[in-house]
Parts: sequence; structure tokens; C-alpha cells
Amino acid sequence: MTPTLSLSQLQKSYGTQRVLDGVTFDVPPGSIVGLLGPNGAGKSTLIRSIMGIVEPDGGEVLLSGQPWSREGARGIGYLPEERGLYKDMRVGQQAVYFAQLKGMKKPEAVASLKTWFERLEVQGWWDKKVSDISKGMAQKIQFICTVVHQPKLLILDEPLSGFDPINARRIIQEVRSLAADGTSVLLSTHDMPSVERLCDQVVMLNQGRVVLSGSSSELRETGWDGSQEVLFKGNDMAFTNALGALANLDSIGPTSISGVRKARIRLRDGVEPIDVLRAVTQTMELIEFIKVRPTMETLFIDAVSKVESETTAES
Amino acid sequence: MNYGLIQAVVAREWRTRVLKPSFLLATLLLPVVSIGFVVGAILLTESAEVNNTVLVEDAPGLISRLDRASGQYVPRCPGCFPERQNLNYHFTQEAPADSIWQAEGHTVLVEYDGSILQNQSGYLVYEKSPGASAKRNIERDLSRAMEHARVLESTELNWSAYQALKMNVNLVDRGIEKGQRVKGGGDEIRGGIGFMFSALLLLVLMIYGGVIMRSVVEEKANHVVEVLVAAVRPEELLLGKVVGLGAVAVTQLLAWTVLSSLGFSVFQFLFDSGTIGQAATLGSGEVPADLLTLMAENDGLSHLLDIQWSVMIGGAIAFYIGGYLLYGSLFAAVGSSVQSEQEGQGMILPIIAPLMFGYFAATMAVENPDLPILEWLGWFPLTSPVIMLVRIAGGVALWEVALSWALLMLTARLTLGLAGRLYRFGVLHDGSRSGWKLLVHWMQGHGK
Repeated sequence: MTPTLSLSQLQKSYGTQRVLDGVTFDVPPGSIVGLLGPNGAGKSTLIRSIMGIVEPDGGEVLLSGQPWSREGARGIGYLPEERGLYKDMRVGQQAVYFAQLKGMKKPEAVASLKTWFERLEVQGWWDKKVSDISKGMAQKIQFICTVVHQPKLLILDEPLSGFDPINARRIIQEVRSLAADGTSVLLSTHDMPSVERLCDQVVMLNQGRVVLSGSSSELRETGWDGSQEVLFKGNDMAFTNALGALANLDSIGPTSISGVRKARIRLRDGVEPIDVLRAVTQTMELIEFIKVRPTMETLFIDAVSKVESETTAES
Repeated sequence: MNYGLIQAVVAREWRTRVLKPSFLLATLLLPVVSIGFVVGAILLTESAEVNNTVLVEDAPGLISRLDRASGQYVPRCPGCFPERQNLNYHFTQEAPADSIWQAEGHTVLVEYDGSILQNQSGYLVYEKSPGASAKRNIERDLSRAMEHARVLESTELNWSAYQALKMNVNLVDRGIEKGQRVKGGGDEIRGGIGFMFSALLLLVLMIYGGVIMRSVVEEKANHVVEVLVAAVRPEELLLGKVVGLGAVAVTQLLAWTVLSSLGFSVFQFLFDSGTIGQAATLGSGEVPADLLTLMAENDGLSHLLDIQWSVMIGGAIAFYIGGYLLYGSLFAAVGSSVQSEQEGQGMILPIIAPLMFGYFAATMAVENPDLPILEWLGWFPLTSPVIMLVRIAGGVALWEVALSWALLMLTARLTLGLAGRLYRFGVLHDGSRSGWKLLVHWMQGHGK
């Protein structure tokens, strides 16, 4: 299936500083792709290149298989990190204006907006002035303005900032629902839990380069360092002896359940979890044996640290 | 260019400003204030006029004589003391004490002795000042009466013969056009009309240029701009903004014109009918049937008819559009490169310098429309809007107007393109750096 967004060898420099260095990845239809990276990694420039706000020096941007065009980019729903509304306009009037800029006719825009306003329970705010509404409410209006024209591709830059947990969950539900209906989503955020909850795939940028990409589950599986969490009944010395040369013991201590101990171990190379399982169960009662995959945050920090140490070594 | 999007931007700029209470208030207030100012000035002038009864103590008997029939002193030259509003003369050759002539109802005493013919000086005695205008009239009337006395005393001419000998040379202008003598002169009147158009254009450019700059700065500050430039090309957004705010200016000017005309018509009606003021005593009593006839018969006003009004109005509209597009783009470019309005104010001086220079040159053009430098400034697009309006009023070949406007529009188009480019870099620029150095940096293509 043709990707909704396809980036190939995207390059961009500001003066001597290279901001994008051969960025290549796809956003398949109906998928949610998380764009991660530390500050200054090139995420905003990448998004602005996709939107045509900045002009890439090289590479290619394809929208549904077609070379980038202004008309094609107008169909993208874009919620920038630095976003705002005109304070002196009424909410409804402003939403209609933004929809018109996306190429919608006024009656069509009003109808679609009314539906969205009801869906996000802000219908009572249509005639209010923006200066009279709360920040969270303004965020909802901005989200509606982004999706009102039923975009094939949605680019959301920190979409949950400013939302309380309840409204954040509401927005996540809406993003999931849009993706289920076939909208592709590129989500740029520093909020790792939302990446884990939402994203099918992840692209990590650092210093303008893709340093890690793939599906979230694949990445977490690949990044697994043999960590296991073990809950058992018995004494610590016996547990350590049972592990023998199979695994390193990182930590051990009590739990809230009387007599139950918790240990964090890391399997040595070539050792399978089943080997440890067998060894431990011979001498004590095993309650839980959990594979501890790395969080997206850990993967992110590891990837960034790795690139930085390589750069330091090179220089 | 996507004209549908530009139209949406224009409509937003227009609607959000024109439908604001502050706009409506300002639009209604100016005609009310200006009419109020005129009405106030007239009423104030009327109330300031006091009736002066002047007693002239003609001790040497130079300008008055005793009329035996009435037993009163009367002027020797009655025509020298014409009937004036709020000024009545009585004569005597020996005035009583101050308290007495005042008690008799006189407000002013004029006294002199025989030396007045040599030193041309006398006294004006009063308790309350008769006012500068009344004093001027008294001096004028007295001088004329003294002149009459001297003519009779020192020449053998009678007053009528002397009057007939007096000369007042008047030079009537005759210009030469294509080898033919044509009606000339009236440069100052025509230039003044053109200058009014120029001054109004300058005002519009300054006010609405500032509005454009503020609007760009605001969009940067409230972070709307990134959503906008993602949907609309910066050049289209800039054009929509400039045209939209231009439409606001046109709306305001039209509203002012209509409201002022209506207001003055109402005032004129009330004034003529005597409801306001003392129209009956002020009017000449002879109302011309046709305004154009009146103008043609009046030396000064006839020059207004010499102005090619179709070219003048058409030229004004054309140069207003060109000037507004050119300067509006420049103001927008400045707005996009700064973070606050105060910063922008510091940068607009180099932009408005040519405009101000043009304005001062236009003041010269009123008196001397044929200065060679004005011709050059008329070609230069940064000064042509203000200069050409004065030159058009003075009379200039149509091809010169057309060529100057074409140059202006071409420059405006190029400036709009350049400003769009600067706008593209500038609206997303939120760094601490700003100023002309940064604009030049962007002009060179860095930052895209």
C-alpha cells in the first residue's frame, strides 16, 4: 500500500549547521508514527519541510505517492507546537476561517465544525471570544481546526501539552479513532507514555539523523537487555546460589506481601529465561517471572547517548 | 496565486477590524468632532463679536464737521466710514470726561491732535478691548478719512479725481502651451488641492502602515502564523493582509466622507434657516443660482475648474493603491523581522524617510510646480505617490502620469515579492536578533 507520507534522504542546513541529514522513513495509511528526539534534533524543521514552510536543500517528500505540492500539503492537518488563536475573534468564526484556508466552503466547514464541536463537547463556545475561553478549551478548538477537513495525514506536534489528564485521554481516543478510519498520524512529542500508548511505529531523530526506527514492540524487544523481574518466597542467599552463572543480580529486596521477595536480574549472553526458571524453581517457590522490556524513554535516552558518545569519539 | 485563499484572508482582516466597536466609534467620532469643531468655531466667533460704539474726538476738525441741521458732528467723507457690522461711529471735537462718554453708551474713544498728519499716531481709549478686528477696522477707516483730508488740503484734486488716479496693477497669468497662449496662473490654488491629496495619502500610509506592522507582530506573538503559513503561501498571506487592511482604510475614508458630507449638509441647512447662528445677517443676500458660474466668475476659484478632475481623482486612486501596496509591503517586512511593536517603530525611520522627503518636496511643488527635481522625484517610486498628486493638480502630461504609475506598480510588485520572502523567514523567526542586518541577511536568501 502506498504510504501516506514518504520521506527520502531529506537534507536541510542553516548556514554551516546541518539540521536534517538524509532523513528517510514512511508513514503508512492508518498508522500512528511517533517522532521522537531531543530538543534541537531537527523535528520541527522536518515537520516544517513536510508542510512547505521551509524549503529542504535535498531529498524528496511524497504525499500519497505524489511529489510534494502546495495543494497536497494543504490537505494535511497540522497542529504546530507553537500554536495560537486570534484573541479578538469569536471561536466559531475563527474555526470557519481556518477551515476555509484548508480549502473548505463555508457551509461545508460550518457543518463539519458543528459535528466536531458536539463531539468534543464545546458547542456552547461557538459564539464566545477566544479571549474568554480557558487554555484547555482553546487547545480543543485548535485540535478541531486541525482535523475539520478530514485530512489523510495528521501532523501533531506536542498535541497533549496544556491538557488535563481527562482531556488528554479524550484527544488520544480521537486520534486513535481517526487512525482507525484511515488517517495517518505523525506524532511529535516528548511525552513517552503517550508514545507507548498511541504509536504503532517510532522514528527517533538525533542531530538531524534517524537513529532508531521501527514498530514500538519490535524496538522494545530488540532493546531488551535480558532484564527479568522475579518474585519468590525464600531466602536471598538461596536465590543467589540458584542463579549461579546464569544471570547477574541487579537488586533484591522485600515486597509489601509478607515473605515475598523481589529481585531484578539480567540474563547473561546465551542464557534463555527458561534456564533461570528451572534453576530457581528447584530450590524455592516462584510467584512471578516477568520479562522487563525497556521503556521508550530508556530506548530514547540510550539511542541519544550512543550517538553523542560516537560524536565525541569522532571529534 | 490562490485567489480564494487571499479573499478569505482579506475578508478576515476587514471583518475583524471594521466590525469592532472601537472602529465604529472612531469612524463616527471623527466627523462629529470635525463638524463640532467648525460649528464651535463659528459660534465662538459670533459670541466674540461685541458691538463697539466709537466716539472720534476730532479736535483739529480734520475729518468731521458740524451739521447745522442736526446739530451733530458728521464725517467730511461719509464713504470713508462704511457701514460695518458691530461698529458705529460718533464724532465730536471735544470729548467729555471718560466716565461721561462711557455713560453715554460709547465703548471706545479715538483721540488725536493736529500732529496726526505728521506722526500718524493717535490713541484708542477703552475699558474693555474692542478686539483686534474692530481695532483694524477703526485704523483703516481713520486712515482713509485722514488721506481724504490731506488730499483736500495739499492738492487741487477733489477726492473722486484722486481716487480715479490711484493705480493697482494686476498681472493676469498667461501660459504658453504648444506655442499657444493659454490661461495660466493659479499654481498655488491648484497645487494646494494636489497637496491636500498628498497629505491625506501620507496620513493613510503612516496610519495603515503602522496597522499592518502591528498586525504581523501580533500574529507572531499569538503563534497563529505557523498554522497560517502551513495553509497559505506567505506571499498570498501578505497580499491578503495588505489588501484587507487597505479595504479597511477605504471603508473608513468612505464612511468619513459620507458622514462628513451629511453632517455639513445638515449644519448648512440649520445655519441657512437661522436655527444655528446668525445666517441672515452674515449672508450677502445674493445667492448665485449655479455654483460653477460662481466659481468661474471668481478669479481664485476659477483655477479649480482648470484642474483635470477626472485625471486628478483617477490619479489619486491609482497612486493611493500603488503607494499603499509599496509601503504596506515594507511595513509588513519590518513587522515580520521584529518581536515587538516598539522594536518595529525603531526600524521604520529609513522606510518613511523617502516619504517624508517627498512630502516636503510636495510643499515646494505647491509654489513652484516646474522645479526639475520634482520631475525626478515624480519618477522615483518611493516619492512618486506624494509628488505626482501635486503635479497632476498643477497640470502634467497624461503619459507622464501613466509612466510614473507604471513604475510605481512595478516596484510595488517587486517589493511585494521581496517582502513576501522576508515575511516567510521573518514570521517564524523568534530569536533575539532583529533589525536591518537580519533583513539584509534574509534578502540574500539565508534562512529559508
